[in-house]
Amino acid sequence: MVSTSDSDLANDRLRELESVTSAYARYSRSAGGLASVLGGMFCVASYLCGALLPLTVPVRAVLIAFPIVWILAKIGLTRHYYQRFGRVEESETAAERWTYRACLATSVFVAVAITIVVVNQALSRQAMPAPGVIGYLAFVVALPVATWLWLHSALDFIVGVFLFCQAAFACGGRAYPGLDIMHLTQWAPMSWLALTYPLLALALIASGFAQHRQFQSLRARLEALRGSTLAAS
Amino acid sequence: MNNDEKLTGLLNLDRLVHEPARLLMLSVLAQAKQVEFTYLETLSGLSKGNLSSHMSKLEAAGLIEVTKSFRGKRPLTELRITPAGRKALTDYRRQLSSAMQA
Repeated sequence: MVSTSDSDLANDRLRELESVTSAYARYSRSAGGLASVLGGMFCVASYLCGALLPLTVPVRAVLIAFPIVWILAKIGLTRHYYQRFGRVEESETAAERWTYRACLATSVFVAVAITIVVVNQALSRQAMPAPGVIGYLAFVVALPVATWLWLHSALDFIVGVFLFCQAAFACGGRAYPGLDIMHLTQWAPMSWLALTYPLLALALIASGFAQHRQFQSLRARLEALRGSTLAAS
Repeated sequence: MNNDEKLTGLLNLDRLVHEPARLLMLSVLAQAKQVEFTYLETLSGLSKGNLSSHMSKLEAAGLIEVTKSFRGKRPLTELRITPAGRKALTDYRRQLSSAMQA
């Protein structure tokens, strides 16, 4: 017959497996780890480049590359580092699901609205839009797709919005303005709005580092459990 | 509860869920939306064949859903617990806990 101590031991082991799986699953969606750190750093760099540097072709190319490199790094880190033991998809909470759907709906709404305006302008001029405008539109349309597939947390979404919008602006030869503290009378709401993105990016960097440290201890727990689970039971 | 009732309680446990490998699989699957076969293989330390056999039994009982596809040229097997699987796991835990409390 099963003794109480055997049963407790088996239950403890199962609880540990459940806890490890639940923590590991977070790295499929809501926890980015080093990808969040990279996204935050790209956001700050993109803001500073756009605000301080003249928009030469190399600077514009860097601004355009930031969101693409970030998404590729996010995919690579998730698949080959954080979920190296096999993909475990997180079951999101109701609040996380609501936030994600709200972000997705916002990005779809903005993309559709901008596309209608640009297409309408092109039709009224009866001419193809300039290559810069097509590039702008490509990033605007790519944002909901990126949100759907890769931007699952609110901070990821905010930083993603900035990187994609900055890249879209860079295609058209513009960038978010820096904060002009010398001319406060000519207060530009856009420059204040743009400043909030790098500030939020700092929060993403901090949470990314924390998630990465948590993953390192999780990996140690997984390595300890690896293969010994059923042998010990 | 006397020893006979305790014994009856233990004998009435769902045998399909009570087996250690299947209990592990259901407990792990209950924590996620979908789990790749490789993860279960890593965590359990069981061979592919052994794990596959337990997977088939759980799938036949309707406790899990199995999706097979390819990632590039590599076969990819993903498992997901069904509502019936969650219920079976909850019921099993309740039965075990009441039998062990005696």
